[in-house]
Amino acid sequence: MKSELYACAHAAEFPAQALLRLRPDLATQPVAVLEGRAPEETACALNWKARQQGTAYGMTRLDAESIPGLRLLARSAQSESAARAVFLECVAQFSPRIEEASRGTACAFVLDIDGAERLFGPPEKMAQRLRAALAAAGFRTSIAVSANFHTARMKAAHSRGISVIRAGEEAGALASLPISALVLDADQAETFAIWGIRTLGELAALPEAELVTRLGAEARAWSALAHGRAAHLFQPVEPVLALEEFCEFETPVEQIDSLLFVAVRMIDSLAARANGRALALAALTARMKLEDGSWHERIIRPALPSVDRRFLLKLVHMEIGAHPPQAAVVSLLLRAEAGQASQMQLGLFAPEMPEPSKLNVTLARLKAIVGEDRVGSPALDDTHRADSFRMKGFVAGSSADALNGLSQRVALRRVRPPEPLSVVLRAARPIAFRNLARRFEITEAYGPWRTSGCWWSMDAWDGEEWDVLTTEHDGTAVACVLTHDLQRNTWNLEAFYD
Amino acid sequence: MSTAAVLRLQIERSLADRFPAALSPAPKTIREVAATGIRAVDELLVGGLPVGAISELTGPESSGRTSLALAFVASRIAEGRVCAWVDGNDCFDPESAAANGVCLSQLLWVRCRNVEAKPKQREQRWARLDQALRATDLLLQAGGFAAIVLDLGATAPEHGNRIPAATWFRFRQAADRARGSLVVLGRAAYAQSSAAVALECSGRQARSAGGTVLSGLEYEVTRRRERFSSLPQGMRMPESPTTGLSRWGGKPPVSTWTALPAWEAVRRA
Repeated sequence: MKSELYACAHAAEFPAQALLRLRPDLATQPVAVLEGRAPEETACALNWKARQQGTAYGMTRLDAESIPGLRLLARSAQSESAARAVFLECVAQFSPRIEEASRGTACAFVLDIDGAERLFGPPEKMAQRLRAALAAAGFRTSIAVSANFHTARMKAAHSRGISVIRAGEEAGALASLPISALVLDADQAETFAIWGIRTLGELAALPEAELVTRLGAEARAWSALAHGRAAHLFQPVEPVLALEEFCEFETPVEQIDSLLFVAVRMIDSLAARANGRALALAALTARMKLEDGSWHERIIRPALPSVDRRFLLKLVHMEIGAHPPQAAVVSLLLRAEAGQASQMQLGLFAPEMPEPSKLNVTLARLKAIVGEDRVGSPALDDTHRADSFRMKGFVAGSSADALNGLSQRVALRRVRPPEPLSVVLRAARPIAFRNLARRFEITEAYGPWRTSGCWWSMDAWDGEEWDVLTTEHDGTAVACVLTHDLQRNTWNLEAFYD
Repeated sequence: MSTAAVLRLQIERSLADRFPAALSPAPKTIREVAATGIRAVDELLVGGLPVGAISELTGPESSGRTSLALAFVASRIAEGRVCAWVDGNDCFDPESAAANGVCLSQLLWVRCRNVEAKPKQREQRWARLDQALRATDLLLQAGGFAAIVLDLGATAPEHGNRIPAATWFRFRQAADRARGSLVVLGRAAYAQSSAAVALECSGRQARSAGGTVLSGLEYEVTRRRERFSSLPQGMRMPESPTTGLSRWGGKPPVSTWTALPAWEAVRRA
């Protein structure tokens, strides 16, 4: 017969845990999660501090607000969904066969850990590691290990910490559990209450045949559960890698620093999950819902996939700092794309290049200083129009199209935008010009060089270029390029030869 | 051992606790240099511009400083490295760079801009200068750039001279750590003692073909400062008839070179 061993990880008060795992600032405060429509909201999940202060399930908002210091949060289905995915992914590190056993406001997964001893050690040690991994992801859980599926499930749901139940000791371990551990309707629960049966141990002590005679066929299943011998057909779920984290704020957030305080936990979680699969984060999408109902989205793509939390946070900071949301943020969704962890092969004789991650941050900082579109590599447009280029993203690396055959050519220094001039002409040739500050006498003028293009569009240009040598009042000779726009009949100082 | 050597040894031993090796000349550090790609200038600098130090190219418009800087950047990129051009006044011309052999994809161009919130022209100049200095600082700290050109060629000297000496000192340290050359283009020398090399550029004459076409400009480069000369003291610079390098006769060494217009390259190709 095949041996069986199951471990159940149970997270109680999951609506509260899902909200608090990304908010360490609330960890020490009493928190109650409300659900339902305003103003009829009721408390559905509480943390330990809130229970200590007398908060109870089903309490209305009005009652809850009367408790001093109690923080009230709205239940968020999206936060729970994201947290559940994180929970599932975390337990999936320990076993590929997982079945969900969530009930009510709790989130629970039962893992088939048969044969995992060789990887994770004995059940006690494995349970400790599982609990520690879930704690690192921000979940407070109870773990139960048993050879019986339902025993592990029920024990984890009604105990704290770690319980390891040896084979044959199931009934004893379950004896102290309340009868509510079984799925009973109101009539059945009332019947047991009248009989004075409050625990599974008391139920297990009843003769099964008599029980079935009085309560029907369901009683056989209850008895089996109470004895810890109920059979179960395992139905595994497949964890899907969805690198998403969601956080809804109780009040709209205006400060970027406050936003990043939450984002750092989200990045941590995403990086850890990707790292668990030997992957890295290749792109991060920050999607913010704003107070006015609109969305603000920024995409951050590091030069190389990375799991470096500080580096990723810096990039998110720079990006959101450069493109801040136009209104206060109501919720933040961070979605990551996984990529292969970067591995750079360095060459002994290869020239030194900027470190990709450092360069990424540097470029983001430069863009914050001078503007998004003013940092990069220039690329020439395929046109004869003067000063026509576009900016491309800068990627460091030895280029295949590196130019050879160096030669000394006169460089131009562009005047952007071209400076309007008043020009003195003689026999249709410029002899002097003046700008706002200075007058230049032209000693030599070479030209005109006609240039035109795009006559079929609104973007047409038609003009003349002159290479002129001038002398300033102090005798300094300057060579520059003047343009004469024939369409508008204007003269401009286009560039200096330098 | 000669008497002089024995005597020197005795003096050094007696002063050893106060002045280690008092009479021995300090070992000369040989600085790494990178060729500018212009033969005349390389001969003037005995190899090229220093690596891990600040070099200043000064002069007015049409003095050839931009062409010289471009030639240097082109030669560094041709070695498979990357360079950066911090454009303090948005004057850089990509076409000229490409004509000088610069692989544009390996050049990071930072274009400083006017700040809209500060409409006054005077404040905008300061804003651009501030941007250029901050960008240079960031690039030097990031490391990995073989050459960083800080182009303050259109910045007025009265503004450039107000850059604190501490900034240049920091740049010098950072360039040394990053093993990159920081080339400063300006109308005057701003880095002063922090610069390892200062070259003064000036235009000599324009060449024309048949009096109708500007066919080249001749430039003159004067070495004003060289912190780490690789020539032993007292040694004279050899004369080169091909490059027009002058003798070292008490005056600063001068070299001339000629740059052709970009269309000439197209015609020859």
